[in-house]
Amino acid sequence: MNELKQICKDALTEKKARFIIGYKEDKNKRVKPFIAKTPEDAEKLTFSHHAVNNLAVYLSRFKNNIDGKIGIVVKSCDLKAVTALIQENQIKRDDLFIIGVNCSGVVLDVAKEFNKDNTQIKCKYCQAKTPPYYDALAEESKEFEMPDDDQAELMAKIDKMTAEERLEFWNAEFEKCIKCYACRQVCPMCYCEKCIVEKSEPQWIDSSSTSRGNFSWNIIRAFHQAGRCIGCHECERACPMGIPLTLLTRKMGMVAFSEFGYRHGTSLTEPTLIGTYSTSDKEDFIK
Amino acid sequence: MKIGVFVCHCGENIGRTVNCPEVSKACASFPGVVHSEDYKYMCSDPGQNLIKQAIREKHLDAVVVGSCSPHMHEKTFRKACASAGINSYMVEIANLREHCSWIHEDIAEATKKAIDLMRFAVERVKFNHPLQTIKVPVTKRSLVIGGGISGIQAALDIANAGFEVVLVEKEPSIGGHMSQLSETFPTLDCSQCILTPRMVEVYQHPKIKLLSYSEVENVEGFIGNFKVTIRRKAKSVKEELCTGCGLCAEKCPIKKKALSEFDEGLSNRSAIYVPFPQAVPNVPVIDRSVCTYFKTGKCEMCKKVCGREAIDFTQQDTFVTEDVGSIIVATGYKLYSIEKKPEESIYKGYGEYGYGKYKNVINGLQFERIASASGPTSGEILRPSDKTEPKKIVFIQCVGSRDESKGFSYCSKICCMYTAKHAMLYKHKVHDGEAYVFYMDIRSGGKNYEEFVRRAIEEDHVNYIRGRVSKIYEEDGKLIVKGEDTLAGLPVVIEADLVVLATAMIAQQEAPKLAQTLNISYDKYGYFQEAHPKLRPVETNTGGVFLAGACHSPRDIPESVAMASAAAAKSLVLFGADMLEREPIIAKVDESTCAGCFYCQKVCAYNAIEKKEIRDRQGNLKKVVAFVNSGLCQGCGTCNATCPSKSIELIGFNDDQIFAQINAFAEV
Repeated sequence: MNELKQICKDALTEKKARFIIGYKEDKNKRVKPFIAKTPEDAEKLTFSHHAVNNLAVYLSRFKNNIDGKIGIVVKSCDLKAVTALIQENQIKRDDLFIIGVNCSGVVLDVAKEFNKDNTQIKCKYCQAKTPPYYDALAEESKEFEMPDDDQAELMAKIDKMTAEERLEFWNAEFEKCIKCYACRQVCPMCYCEKCIVEKSEPQWIDSSSTSRGNFSWNIIRAFHQAGRCIGCHECERACPMGIPLTLLTRKMGMVAFSEFGYRHGTSLTEPTLIGTYSTSDKEDFIK
Repeated sequence: MKIGVFVCHCGENIGRTVNCPEVSKACASFPGVVHSEDYKYMCSDPGQNLIKQAIREKHLDAVVVGSCSPHMHEKTFRKACASAGINSYMVEIANLREHCSWIHEDIAEATKKAIDLMRFAVERVKFNHPLQTIKVPVTKRSLVIGGGISGIQAALDIANAGFEVVLVEKEPSIGGHMSQLSETFPTLDCSQCILTPRMVEVYQHPKIKLLSYSEVENVEGFIGNFKVTIRRKAKSVKEELCTGCGLCAEKCPIKKKALSEFDEGLSNRSAIYVPFPQAVPNVPVIDRSVCTYFKTGKCEMCKKVCGREAIDFTQQDTFVTEDVGSIIVATGYKLYSIEKKPEESIYKGYGEYGYGKYKNVINGLQFERIASASGPTSGEILRPSDKTEPKKIVFIQCVGSRDESKGFSYCSKICCMYTAKHAMLYKHKVHDGEAYVFYMDIRSGGKNYEEFVRRAIEEDHVNYIRGRVSKIYEEDGKLIVKGEDTLAGLPVVIEADLVVLATAMIAQQEAPKLAQTLNISYDKYGYFQEAHPKLRPVETNTGGVFLAGACHSPRDIPESVAMASAAAAKSLVLFGADMLEREPIIAKVDESTCAGCFYCQKVCAYNAIEKKEIRDRQGNLKKVVAFVNSGLCQGCGTCNATCPSKSIELIGFNDDQIFAQINAFAEV
């Protein structure tokens, strides 16, 4: 822990970063996002299994940053969001001081201790405990035995459903939606200044919390993530109604990988899947 | 808003399946419609007058025409409305022909659908806004790709009209295939004699910039404003110093290792060479793949003998950019190489004819070289194997053409004529020789063409045998040609001294790549596609890009020249005006909501999206947003569909219009 504090303190002292977006523990022992502006603030920075938030969501508001680098503490999953934001012109790599942390999993329920049963789904199939690139690296890497990827089993089950059954499944899930848009607010890839759901002339999405409006909102949100979702699972974590939103986004990520060999947010140089045409693209969907 | 509705019968095209008076009656009751009528030919002069009259009398604000595809007559109706005083973009077309009458049979159902289509258009036009055409300047220069007879003709026509031309040729000399020919049908005039003066004219023309040994690398821009990047391949010779004395080629120790492309491999050339003595420009190039210096670092003979110090081994490919307003593609053809092909190839080749295996089985262009006064035999008909005069010669037509199993389904068109010419040339030079032609049909359409073939048969006594050859093999220095005379119903065996195959004309190998660079279409054979087979035969679907010659389809010299002049005329039409008028249907960015993800830029096929910085009054950067270059945008709408926050709209196809149309549909 001292290592992270020290790195951040040095970065702020040496002006390698103007401020650092990180985590701190509040008086109720909850780990929350925190922006350290001074070397003294850096003392409060922390990282643990309870540091669940993807802090990259704050980055797009600094996209025309001119006052020095922004420090950010990232887990390997969060770094994909940072990479994706760079790919999508929302921030420049040169404007960032990336403090990578070795992560061995984060909790599902922040009120409980980290253990085999209290692990986020994304950690169960996480491939990289260490971020692939960074300006500084903190935390020791620890090995934890991860439980089975039960979401993959559920996805396989949904794949086998008929179209009608699937519609029924999702209708039942979307029925719960209260249109609070927490999924959108927490998503690092949802950086539009005006979301399509707020566009009223003409109105694209019925914004009432009816089953029709819910369906179109959730499907359009999912489609706007096609080939773009980096899989941080923040939408599902933020959803107060417990809708399994990542079933949709993860599925689309898998399709993007199986059909085009592409994973968003994994390379700073690779052209993005959406917006890139190649003559070798499959056309077998045209019947 | 006062809307006028006009339903066209299109003669019987629409009227046969759609009850037009009923459609017109139904439209009269739509909200906003103050005038509705039907007429047999709305596009005709009286039809247009009905529209103009209604606009004046009823003070219409917008017009909906139910007619054929907007592709066909949208412009006509827009013009008519503009002349009556309303903005052309206040006109909408409901396609009652292609989208309704042509594809349905039931009159009642089709009429119902036609009424629906009209209602959608009426709802849509309520959200139309008056638009003004965009004016863009025209660069009055032309690029001609390919320096064969088509390219030469097009370049000369444009240059003689007073406009500059950049002529790009990939080979060291212009002239193309025509320079290889001996005599030309149907007049038997010498090919070189009529071509070389034109080549020289190109070279000396003050308005023509000739870039030989060069290839088009990249094309940006749009009609009237193309920016072309051209790769100038390293000649290893300084063009401005070389006088074309030819000493270098004479002294080059590599005499036998390189096959002459010009002589179709029937003779050899040196490593530093001009393709043929009349080459334009008369500047040699070094073929680095055979040159001793480039292989071993030693020799430099050419450099030693060059008094002008024009040899430069260090020369690199360079790139030049040219601004042009139109592009004429005249890249020509090549011959189907018919030797036995590997099994996996889509073209099976003709292994049974032994081309490439027997020296005395040659193709049409090789025979041209043998018959040519400038050829390897100085015009004497001598067979390649032993340089003796063939006493029996067999010509086989349709090798690769009209043969779907081994070649191509199309007819190469020129082979009937050049085979007759070959046979005639042979008979004129070998009086005691016998010439046989195996043919499927004789296709000799064209001025004096049939007469020419009859002359070969009747005056020069060429033996025409209707049938195919199944096999050719060599025996005692003779080629045994086994075929069938289908008219006599008998097998034929001819002991020939020389066999000439009229192999199919095919598209250049790099044609698809060039098509992609130019953004034009090509067919499955690699031939470039015209915009309309009848009415726009030299235009492509990309504005400002025209076609000339055999790059479009097999064609002979007169046709190629005619097409080249047509393409030149099309360019000149473009250069006739100082400003081009463009449709105002282009994309527009809502800068207040654009998040600057630039996915629109990635998907734009026309490079029309730029980055624009928005600054506050102190000059601080507030955000970077997408910006549409109205000159480049073609209004395809891809950016519009890609933008996640719907911050790009297509003017004339905005969301309100589309929603109005869809909502009208939902109300059914």
